[in-house]
Amino acid sequence: MNAFTLIAKKERRALLQNQRGLAWLLAYTGILSAFALLLISNRELSLLDNAQVVYMMAGTVTAAGALIAVIMGADAYAGERERGTLVPLLTAPISTGELLMGKAAGLASAWGIMYLLAIPYLWAVGAGGQNLGQAIFYLGLFGTPVVLGFGYLAMALSARSGSVMYSLMTSLIVLLFSASPLLIGPGLRNSAIGKVLDAVNPFSGALNTYDAVIIDSDPLMSQLGRLALVLIWLGLMFAVARLSARRPVFR
Amino acid sequence: MKHFKYLLASLLLLSSSLAAAASLQLQLQSDTANPAHPTMGDWMHFNSVITNTGQQPIEGLVAWISLVEVTPGKEQPMDLEDWSAHKAVTGTTLQPGAVLQTQWPMRLIQSGDYRVVISATDRNNKTVFTSPTLQFHVAQKPVVESARILPVALGIPLLIGGLLGVQKVRRWHKTG
Repeated sequence: MNAFTLIAKKERRALLQNQRGLAWLLAYTGILSAFALLLISNRELSLLDNAQVVYMMAGTVTAAGALIAVIMGADAYAGERERGTLVPLLTAPISTGELLMGKAAGLASAWGIMYLLAIPYLWAVGAGGQNLGQAIFYLGLFGTPVVLGFGYLAMALSARSGSVMYSLMTSLIVLLFSASPLLIGPGLRNSAIGKVLDAVNPFSGALNTYDAVIIDSDPLMSQLGRLALVLIWLGLMFAVARLSARRPVFR
Repeated sequence: MKHFKYLLASLLLLSSSLAAAASLQLQLQSDTANPAHPTMGDWMHFNSVITNTGQQPIEGLVAWISLVEVTPGKEQPMDLEDWSAHKAVTGTTLQPGAVLQTQWPMRLIQSGDYRVVISATDRNNKTVFTSPTLQFHVAQKPVVESARILPVALGIPLLIGGLLGVQKVRRWHKTG
């Protein structure tokens, strides 16, 4: 078994067989369950149609995925350093690229588990309505590059700074800024600044795609621009992470 | 003759007081901005005009909106709890000839056929005046069903919580 596979297995085990990892998954499903229960108990929310609810659920899953990616990414190098395990890792016969990809594979596994856990929730709120299959597909197609991109960003900061606190806080600020479309109203997003931010923000790209596909039933061809945006985001963050991982701070 | 005069005077007094009794005229119209085919979750607005057509001012006027479902087999008066926050106008004084215009917003909570009416009375009058009714149909739309959500929303966290519990027990056995 090569080093990359070993590291990937270790990261995956940390999520599924570790109490902390399971606690995170429990918190994640707790958020989705709370939202789902609100939908049937709150009069205002219960009047939303299936498509609107599926769109909101997909946005929530993407945001939660990015949050977990940021937390795991911030711990990737700086956490190993603070635990005193980074130097042994770096002196082991694995390349910096393999170490980075192993960590990224763990992160991807976490997102994969979150994605699979989201499917029954999407079915529960969206069955009987429109575009449920498309919602599940586009959540994977657009959510994955957005989530992994944030994970790579956090890993880059983690390798550069050597501090979990610093890399986590910086990544969270970037994530909050990107996720602001979830919080601000359509009026502000339609302003000139809002439109510029929407055009370069991968999170907005994913949300706008969910809106277009799930609610407006737009085809894939009309979303190619946004697909390019999220793939460019993923590519850029991967390049930044790879560069930073070549010389991580270990002292 | 004297008795006849007294009788005539009493009759005249009675008829004039009857003529001066409170009289309200109510009109009700659907707002022009209302959706042509209303669906669950939509807002509708109804505009009422209450006119004092009597000779006396009306004090302590109370006007309220009522909704009745007339879907065949489901006929019932509706509790406006979730439909409308603006259910009545109270304590108004209306001079003879004066007009009270009110807009009644309503959120369409449930599908079906409905009739809406405005009723009004005042503190001195036992008569309740009503407007003509307006009937409208609220179309169904697919919404979230609790029968699907509850097993998922409760089951999945319970499953993961169970795994967590098994982990804890295993660890406890290992460490003794």
